Amino acid sequence: MYLLWLRVAAVFYGLGSISAVPAVLGRRPRWQQLCVCFAITGWLFHFVSFVEMLSGARHLAALGLHEVQSTLSLLIATAFMLVWIRYKAVSFGMFAMPLALLLALVPALGPDRHAFSSPFIRSGWIFVHVTTLLAAYASLIFSMIASILYLVQERRMKNKETPGFLEWLPPLDTMDQIAQTSLVVGFCCMTVGLLAGSLIAQEHIGAAYFLDPKVLLSFVMWILYVVLLFVRRSTGLRGRRAVYLSSAVFIVMLSVWAANLLSSVHRFSVP
Amino acid sequence: MKLVVAGVNHKTAPVELRERLAIAQERLAEVTRSLIEEAGVREAMVLSTCNRVEVVACHDQAELPVFFQKFFAIDPAELRPHFYEHADADAVRHLFRVASSLDSMIVGEPQILGQVKEAYAVARSVGAAHAQMDRLLQAAFATAKKVRTDTQIGSSSVSIASVAVDLARKIFGSLDNRRVLLVGAGKMSELAAKHLIQQGANSILVANRTHQRAMHLAQSFGGSTLRFEDLYATADQADIIITSTGSATPLFRREHGQQFMHRRRNRPMFFIDIAVPRDVDPEMNKVDGVFLYDIDDLQSVAASHLANRKLEAEKAEAIISLEVERFQRRSLAVDVVPTIVALQRSIEELRQAELRRAQSRLQSLNPEQIAAVDAVTRGLANKFLHMPLAAIKAASLDGNAAAIEMMRNIFKLTEVGEEDESVVTALNTSGKEQE
Repeated sequence: MYLLWLRVAAVFYGLGSISAVPAVLGRRPRWQQLCVCFAITGWLFHFVSFVEMLSGARHLAALGLHEVQSTLSLLIATAFMLVWIRYKAVSFGMFAMPLALLLALVPALGPDRHAFSSPFIRSGWIFVHVTTLLAAYASLIFSMIASILYLVQERRMKNKETPGFLEWLPPLDTMDQIAQTSLVVGFCCMTVGLLAGSLIAQEHIGAAYFLDPKVLLSFVMWILYVVLLFVRRSTGLRGRRAVYLSSAVFIVMLSVWAANLLSSVHRFSVP
Repeated sequence: MKLVVAGVNHKTAPVELRERLAIAQERLAEVTRSLIEEAGVREAMVLSTCNRVEVVACHDQAELPVFFQKFFAIDPAELRPHFYEHADADAVRHLFRVASSLDSMIVGEPQILGQVKEAYAVARSVGAAHAQMDRLLQAAFATAKKVRTDTQIGSSSVSIASVAVDLARKIFGSLDNRRVLLVGAGKMSELAAKHLIQQGANSILVANRTHQRAMHLAQSFGGSTLRFEDLYATADQADIIITSTGSATPLFRREHGQQFMHRRRNRPMFFIDIAVPRDVDPEMNKVDGVFLYDIDDLQSVAASHLANRKLEAEKAEAIISLEVERFQRRSLAVDVVPTIVALQRSIEELRQAELRRAQSRLQSLNPEQIAAVDAVTRGLANKFLHMPLAAIKAASLDGNAAAIEMMRNIFKLTEVGEEDESVVTALNTSGKEQE
């Protein structure tokens, strides 16, 4: 049943993606309402599907690759709606909706055959670990989008470009706040996620776990993250330099994600 | 009854003439009242703004130019070349264009709709607006709203001050609690500051070489003054700085900007330089987080917005054409009712007259037979009426006013006055029952 809801949600994300284009580029208020409506409806279906998926699988966390993707998609849609509620900025829908759609699309196509089969993933801690880290990823993605839009808008303002195609960009201050807030939220999530992961690893595998590339990279990312936040906070770093820093963390995040391929320990699926 | 819009506007009349004709807000009711008292004027509305003085009237036979000449004591020869008069569909189109701000000096400016609404409220309050005016104005308001939502005619700013506000919002989002510093106390900077305050900026600082003038300006905004000597030490408190001094060399240079940004911990700053020669070194724009717009930059943004509005105005014209057509069709549908009633009544009168003439010959008939004769004549009359009535209704649906006028001529129908309305409805319903 959850597949059906997920498919419905994907359809709504698709509609949301389509309506985001005239809503943002054409700045049409009706399309903006429509886009938000689609997003909310999609999110509701997605949430129902998520709950059903978890209860159906009789475990608490998203543990297959599809489930992880679906959860990340849900979190991105949630982040979009939070941004909308707080800043009334629909512009992010143009990126968030297609992203949510793409991430939801693969799991919506069919049930996952590669479920992780390790026994200790059934513990409650793993739920905290997986979900918070996914939320951290979603926050980082948002922070990245906001930072890039900030750069584009700043460039436009500096060059005194006459209004045109990019007129829809939100104000600099809003984007700065979104980037900053999502960074902080992402940091909290990541800290909790890594702590939970360490606890589990300590209990099941022991210290050897911490020599794994994936795990090491994760901690490098966390340290970079702390540095980034510290620099941003202390100097009020904005604009280009802030974006460079965010991108660095983002790239490390991508490599952490990719490091699953190299990791021998952080592997739970049966090939 | 004819619908007419007459008057002068910024395209036809120079400001010297317009200001002689302009009617102060408090006199509007009086003027509207005296207009409605003119012979033949049934409904009226007077619109007076700085760009136009117009009269909208529904009248049978009234000389509006004469009213203008009489009321404003103006020489006809002087008024004539600037005066325009639109009737019926043209009048509707003109009013729709005015309400939608297509006829304004600055196309798309939002004030005009409010001014039309005010004029209409005054006309209503003095009892000068009835059914026809109500329909016309409601349609005009609906059209203006449609133009505003379906096109982007009013979405961009075209004045220097509002462009500055727009840019400030692009940087700061909401202007609530933003601090504005005025350096130099010129007319333009005052205007820009006023716009910024309207948008939420709440604290104004003024720095001027002559302290007296700074005090004066600060008081008018409820702000405070800054000593000119302290300018560099305190300017970083402001988010937006508007400069308009007569200084020959730039007041703010790049290194100042760098200091400010350092002290502000990189919170952005917006310099609006409307002085010529410029008060802020153009190099300032290269400082990270500082945005500098001089008068030329503002003007070029305004010009490009204006060009954009012209494109949108074309779309708006198309909407207005559609709406005028729709309004005309609907008002014809309403307008044919008197024609239909008049036609029914004239036929009924003929029938009654014929029956009276034949009365002596019908005396021998018993009541049943009289009833039969009555029914036969009535049926005959209705049969004859059927074709012309159908034609009138069809003409009304097609919006064909000429056909209806011709019908009125053929049957020699006169206008049904308002006093006959009870008869009208009575006849109308009885006519329907028999059909």
